[in-house]
Amino acid sequence: MTDFKALVEALASAKADFIVVGGVAAAVHGSTHATTDLDVVYSRATDNLARIHQALTPYKPYLRGLPPGLPFVWEVGTLRNGLNFTLITALGEIDLLGEITGGGGYDALVSHSVELEVYGHRVRCLDLETLIRVKRAAGRPKDLIRLGELAALLEEAKKKG
Amino acid sequence: MSWLDDPLEPNPVVEALKKDVDRSLLRANLDRTIDERLEHMASMQRLIEDLRAAKARQQSS
Repeated sequence: MTDFKALVEALASAKADFIVVGGVAAAVHGSTHATTDLDVVYSRATDNLARIHQALTPYKPYLRGLPPGLPFVWEVGTLRNGLNFTLITALGEIDLLGEITGGGGYDALVSHSVELEVYGHRVRCLDLETLIRVKRAAGRPKDLIRLGELAALLEEAKKKG
Repeated sequence: MSWLDDPLEPNPVVEALKKDVDRSLLRANLDRTIDERLEHMASMQRLIEDLRAAKARQQSS
């Protein structure tokens, strides 16, 4: 089971630049759906790749779904040469996303995120409208099912102020 | 400006799906703090994992 709190703390303590997206961002905004992994869009800036690497190294990241023993090397160069990584770690599942469909990368999304206090850290989460927009763009069946809830949530959040 | 700045237009499929949403659950969640929402989600995840483990034990016995 994914330890969301420990993963967020690891990234935030390393002062990594990242935006929480996906199911955890939806939960932060009030969605009632459970999710199994933490999805983050990370800044591709060179110094940030080093911070992401440092944050996750103690938890032995490995590509999710691959048999053990394949030559996956967790180093800054791996992050630099790749873009999106679906990882399993000792803390659970995390997707490191350089870009997302319909949203682009960190620089495009940062102005569409909100900084919130999460587990005692200031953490950026994609704002609810943009979360809806990128889920629409992704167009996956599982996203469609959740879009109804997110749209209702947006209305309820506006009513609540 | 990017398309992310455009107004979010209503989508007929989403509007149809929205009708079946239990808004009382959303309102209850909006009354929680962010940490409480995440803990609530994590507890749901733990319950699902426990039920899956129980099912696997039952099937193997």
